[in-house]
Amino acid sequence: MADVLRAESLSKRFGTHTALNSLNLSVASGEIVCMLGANGAGKTTTINLFLGFLEPSDGKALIDGTHVQSDTTAARKLLGYVPEQVALYPSLTGLENLEYFMRLSGAANINETHLRSLLDKVGLDQAAATRPVQDYSKGMRQKVGLAIALGKNATALLLDEPLSGLDPKAANEFCSLLRVLANEGKAVLMATHDLFRAREISDKIVIMKSGRMVAALDSAALDNATLEKIYLQHMHDPDTLLEAAS
Amino acid sequence: MISYIIRKEAMEVSRDGRTRILAIVMLLLGLVGLLAGWANYADQQRNAQFAQADDQTVFLDQGERNPHSAAHFGRMAYKPASPLAAFDPGAAPFMGQVIWLEAHQRNPAMFRPAADSLELGRLSNFSVAGILTVLLPLLVFLLGYSALAGERERGTLRQTLAAGTSTGKLFAAKYIVIASTGIVLAAVTIIASAVMALFSPVALSATDTLVRALGLTAFYALYVLALTGFALLVSALCRQSRTALLVLLGIWALAVMVLPRVGASVAAQTFPIPDGAQVWSELRADIASNRVAPDSAEYKAAEQFVVSRALGRDVSLAELATMDLNASGLRLEVTEVLDYAVLNNFYADIYDRYAGQRDVRRWFALLSPAIALQHASSAFAGTDFVAHQHFSDVAEVQRNNIVRVMNEDLLLNGAGATTYLAGENFWEEVPEFTYQFPPVSLAWRSAAFDILLLLLWGAIATALAWTVTRNRLTV
Repeated sequence: MADVLRAESLSKRFGTHTALNSLNLSVASGEIVCMLGANGAGKTTTINLFLGFLEPSDGKALIDGTHVQSDTTAARKLLGYVPEQVALYPSLTGLENLEYFMRLSGAANINETHLRSLLDKVGLDQAAATRPVQDYSKGMRQKVGLAIALGKNATALLLDEPLSGLDPKAANEFCSLLRVLANEGKAVLMATHDLFRAREISDKIVIMKSGRMVAALDSAALDNATLEKIYLQHMHDPDTLLEAAS
Repeated sequence: MISYIIRKEAMEVSRDGRTRILAIVMLLLGLVGLLAGWANYADQQRNAQFAQADDQTVFLDQGERNPHSAAHFGRMAYKPASPLAAFDPGAAPFMGQVIWLEAHQRNPAMFRPAADSLELGRLSNFSVAGILTVLLPLLVFLLGYSALAGERERGTLRQTLAAGTSTGKLFAAKYIVIASTGIVLAAVTIIASAVMALFSPVALSATDTLVRALGLTAFYALYVLALTGFALLVSALCRQSRTALLVLLGIWALAVMVLPRVGASVAAQTFPIPDGAQVWSELRADIASNRVAPDSAEYKAAEQFVVSRALGRDVSLAELATMDLNASGLRLEVTEVLDYAVLNNFYADIYDRYAGQRDVRRWFALLSPAIALQHASSAFAGTDFVAHQHFSDVAEVQRNNIVRVMNEDLLLNGAGATTYLAGENFWEEVPEFTYQFPPVSLAWRSAAFDILLLLLWGAIATALAWTVTRNRLTV
């Protein structure tokens, strides 16, 4: 399948600190790739570079062939973005937030039926849809965030720690939905600390450390214990090298 | 796409309890200010009309009397309040409302005469203009302080930009919504004031009122645009909305509360206006130093001019020497003619000092758009010192006419009489004082520089905010 998200020798330096060092990464249509790593490993920097919020020091980020830095607005229109804390306008209802962000992305055919069907798809209670989001739980916000990405009909989804703070049931629902979306052809790149859930839902796992990708693993070939062992080994080994699990 | 952002911003603003409360408070204060201003205006107008009629009755009923004695008795010129004074009383309360027209003397306006006024500042006045000048910045700053800083703090800026919009569009939408809210509030009160002005007892023409109302709306709109630019500029620069609010409140205190007063004080120190006692002593000194000897050529020429004008034909000096005229009447009118320029020059100097004060305040207007707005607003409300000077000059012409009619009657009809008395019907020949408000073109001339300053404020603040938002606003 064609690569939708592609990082080519992507680097980002802040002064003398290298936040991301020559990352080569691709996520194909229908594929879920999870990035694991400690804080400061370069996961969020990678996502910010794909979103065009940061200028790369070297290399380039491509979304479905669109160079992010050359045409940031066009590249963003192809992306759905769900951060750790989905930020919504508190005085607006879930429906109004969804409509607003969909209109910003240039989505067509926006009507209440369509909006409600999107919220239904992500499992948001219909009664909650017309309440101001200031009353929403984090899980409900995450669902609206995902509905925004759905409504935008994004080609690729970037998720930055979306499971953080979710209760197990909400996290399960969220992951199931991600799989549905991947099956529909979306390319999904998710940064997470949750090793086991990453293994469950992803097709590929990459481990980041100090701005470098130190491992790229096939999720299907791993069990939880192996993944944990590999992960901890990389976290403690100062001279880890890129390796690929067969 | 901007329309969607505008719609969302408008929804947020309308649901923001703080904005609703402040807008309602502003409208209520505006309404109360307008009604209070109107009550003052109507009261002043009623008193002026009553006093004018009373003055006329007393003057016409004075019976047989020596004309020069009547000239000292004098008349009163009542300044009609500008119909838009209910909106912006401007400097009017500081300038006086009645001028006593008497022989030999050009008097300053009474009831807060110019001589007692040290400044033209009037922020303490409870007027619609004062309320708008002080509270519009608060409204705009409250709407704008978190417009960009808050988006960044909440994380909605990331979400919004990730959706595919630009900082430029986000800025434009927020600018439009915040500025529109302030402009609509200002326009509502100005339109209400203009409608009241149209129905006032001394209404300006509908066209004149419309032009003034449009001008006032434009000035307050420029003020709001400058404030909106500042609010968004600070919001874009501050990492936290709380910091942005503190900075903007500091700007508000400085620009609206402190600088106008400091500017007025510095202006009053730089161009002091003489008090009543100084006016009299300086005026006496000026007149004394400009008096010419009765046998001088200048005096003779003045005599020739006075008699020629009284008779309506040229009179030579030789003929003048043979004419049978009332010497006292001739001397009094010659003195009036010779003193006229001295009196006018003296008052022109006082008004130059007011202009000097205004110019000093304009320097402060480079730091505060509120000062430029005060000047432009009072000019278009017809309540600035320039409008007062217009009234004062017209009243002086009237004084000169009254005294001239009196003196000419004495001059031509009092020859040989020890005590000449004019008939009881003579007083009807003295023209009544009528005053037409100056055209709006005078306001344009008076406020041209302030309008330019407001334009610059609006343009520079907006351009700065736009540039900083586009280049410096990051997630």
